[in-house]
Amino acid sequence: MDEKDMVRRSKEGDEEAFGFLVKKYKTKVYHLAYSLSHDAQAADDLAQEVFIKAYYALDKFREQSEFGTWIYRIAVNHCRDFLRKKNRMIQIPFENIAGKISAEEDETLPEEKEQEEAKRREIIHTAIQAMPDKYRVILSLRDIQDFPYSEISKILDISPGTVDSRLHRARKMLRKKLEPFFSKKGEGHEM
Amino acid sequence: MKCKQTEKYLLKSLDERLNPSEAIRLEEHLDDCPLCQKRQSEYRIVRETLKEESFPETKPYFWERLQPKLKGKRTIEPWTIGKQFGLRAIPLSILVVVLFTAAVFLFVPSPVEELDLSQTGVFLLENLNPLEETQSFLSEEGDVNKHLMLIFSSLDETDTIRRYFP
Repeated sequence: MDEKDMVRRSKEGDEEAFGFLVKKYKTKVYHLAYSLSHDAQAADDLAQEVFIKAYYALDKFREQSEFGTWIYRIAVNHCRDFLRKKNRMIQIPFENIAGKISAEEDETLPEEKEQEEAKRREIIHTAIQAMPDKYRVILSLRDIQDFPYSEISKILDISPGTVDSRLHRARKMLRKKLEPFFSKKGEGHEM
Repeated sequence: MKCKQTEKYLLKSLDERLNPSEAIRLEEHLDDCPLCQKRQSEYRIVRETLKEESFPETKPYFWERLQPKLKGKRTIEPWTIGKQFGLRAIPLSILVVVLFTAAVFLFVPSPVEELDLSQTGVFLLENLNPLEETQSFLSEEGDVNKHLMLIFSSLDETDTIRRYFP
């Protein structure tokens, strides 16, 4: 089925056609929301809200971009609003968490690789959550979701050069945040 | 190459965006710099960890749960249809106006100007002899009659010079 036709039919009020679009994009939108919120329930709520927003804004979609790009843009903006509100309520003290994990590792080194990776993942995610929203979003789109530069540029409505520089700063900032962890690990492991 | 520039190259290399000469320069620097080797390793670990991110499955009945939230709320406003097509209609409207104006100039004949004709002109246009009346005056027998008829007939004349004075 042709996506453009489905969009046109959705605009005319055909719910079945909109259902087709939802089924096509729900996983990606959910993953995007999850990578930013790191909370399955919140991600599900966010994904539902994104599609509700899109449904009521269909008349404003002028089809100058792909429907996918448009829905991701709504998702990014909606998740940003969510993060802004959440950040006002909870400030994640990354330094404390990282320090605690590193201290635990000194006492009991994880035997299994899987456990080690899970811990590493947790640390990295906590570090990402302590970063400014714009860096979290770009890391999520590029390094987690694996979107190409051109698509990120369209979703965020910024130039490819800005994508490049913002991603550069985000990765650099993340590495700096993780530096204490890496230095400790480096003594005994792959570093 | 300095370590600062190497970091830039390291980040570009994560997305395989280095050209061959940059890749060689990076390799050369990495061979001699343990600090940048460490950074490279750190960037790779972070990138791979993020790439291997496992996502939970979307909750079941996503569409079924969403559908009731959409029902009956969206109404298509007539003005939004106009708005949707409004921008596309602008060039078309301009074209229509231009074509109509051109058609008016090309095909509609210009109105005939009303001619400001003298009485003689009116007679000639109607294929009548303008001197017929004057001749009838001149053919009158008496001088008084002749003069009076000429005086009365010239009273309509607005230009006083053209009035008859015996």
